[in-house]
Amino acid sequence: MRKEGPMIVTVLSSLVVLFSNYFFLGQQWGLTDRLDYWFNISYGIALALGFVNLTIIHWKYVQRRREGWVYSVILLLVMYGYLILGIVQKHTGPTFSWIYDNMMTVLGAAVFSLLAFLISSAAYRAFRIRTKEATILLVCAIFILLARAPIGDAIWSRWSYWGNEWFMGVLNTAGYRGILLGAYVGAFAVALRILLGLERAHLGGTGTQ
Amino acid sequence: MMWFLAQEEAKPVLGLFVEGTIADIIVVLLLGILIWVMVSRARTGRPIPEIKKIAGLEAIDEAIGRATEMGRPVTFIPGILSVSNAQTLAAFGVASHVARQCARYDTRLLVLTCDPLPYAVLEEITRQSYLEEGRPDAFNPDDVRFLSAEQFAFASAVIGVYERERPAANIMIGAFYAESMIFAETASFQGMISIGGTAHTHQLPFFVAACDYALIGEEIYAASAYLSKEPVLYGTVVGQDILKILVWIIILIGGIIATVNPETTFGKLFEF
Repeated sequence: MRKEGPMIVTVLSSLVVLFSNYFFLGQQWGLTDRLDYWFNISYGIALALGFVNLTIIHWKYVQRRREGWVYSVILLLVMYGYLILGIVQKHTGPTFSWIYDNMMTVLGAAVFSLLAFLISSAAYRAFRIRTKEATILLVCAIFILLARAPIGDAIWSRWSYWGNEWFMGVLNTAGYRGILLGAYVGAFAVALRILLGLERAHLGGTGTQ
Repeated sequence: MMWFLAQEEAKPVLGLFVEGTIADIIVVLLLGILIWVMVSRARTGRPIPEIKKIAGLEAIDEAIGRATEMGRPVTFIPGILSVSNAQTLAAFGVASHVARQCARYDTRLLVLTCDPLPYAVLEEITRQSYLEEGRPDAFNPDDVRFLSAEQFAFASAVIGVYERERPAANIMIGAFYAESMIFAETASFQGMISIGGTAHTHQLPFFVAACDYALIGEEIYAASAYLSKEPVLYGTVVGQDILKILVWIIILIGGIIATVNPETTFGKLFEF
């Protein structure tokens, strides 16, 4: 019953979603909204679990005086401090919002800015001419770079049209839409495998029937 | 109030279905039939078409083997979205395989999550996998970690884990956004073997450029069936492939019609 119980819940939930999305009566009853409501409750409970997990791991680091344990102390202080502040002020409180806008957002942007450097180093490795595929990648990249920069049109007036309109609009779009179509069919298949009980990885273990 | 009065009441199609969903229903039914046929064939031992080898999935065992030889951990990241996303569900199947292999070879597995729901599910998957391999004692619940629900806080935390724990293999399957490049490139700097897979087309170029192996789009959805080596699950992938061929035929017909139309971009290319 340890696996059958969650399996029954999964199948019933899937059928409710199917019924609610495809059948007029299901939509009139608003079953998906009800499921979303339950999902939000489950999410809240799981968030508390994550909170407990973080506390246990970092509390252990502090107790064992593991290298960098001071950072764990800071994490715990900030985490619980912000939680208490949120409870006292609610999420619209001035101090709560100020910390989020002026610390979280800025720190997030700082990490995001790393991408500029990481893309350069990854591009350098990818474009090194070692294989036939890398050569094609390099040629395409140079072609698009020239199409996006004014120098391309200075060399040949139709460069930006071929690069931006045809290369990106036709070849590139065709490629990624092909990937997307395959992915959608794959996602349908995963949903059906779970609905039919063929795949049980989300219940733990081997994931086979 | 006037707005409500002006609205036309929605009407069911054929007295039963929601408008605009008939095509979806046909696809679901067709896929269901194809899967049922292939699964029935597999169950009765009749032959089913082979599915192609997926290098990225074959490399998972190699990556775990490398980590085992080096005595260093393996990291697994199931993307940053919740369990309501199909890519996260696909990641669970891979996580199960990775956990089993790690349990079998006594290699430490670090599962890093950004969302509390996958965290709870992955803890159970990992625990169960260790149990099924007869190594419940080797499972450490602290190695399945919820790091942060904020995207870039999670990215920073993952980099921190890479720096401190020095894993030898990095497996990333699921829904990723801008953090994908941060993970893949940092893993590359550290000399890890990286396997990345996502169905997000905007992140695929990053994985292709920065990872040793990349799983593209649908490959992640076939992963759990492929790794399980179960004929019945193989059958579902074959059914999915047949549907894909049908979709390609429709696209080909549509593509030819659109190409010969002089109003399209292709026609305008020859206007010098």
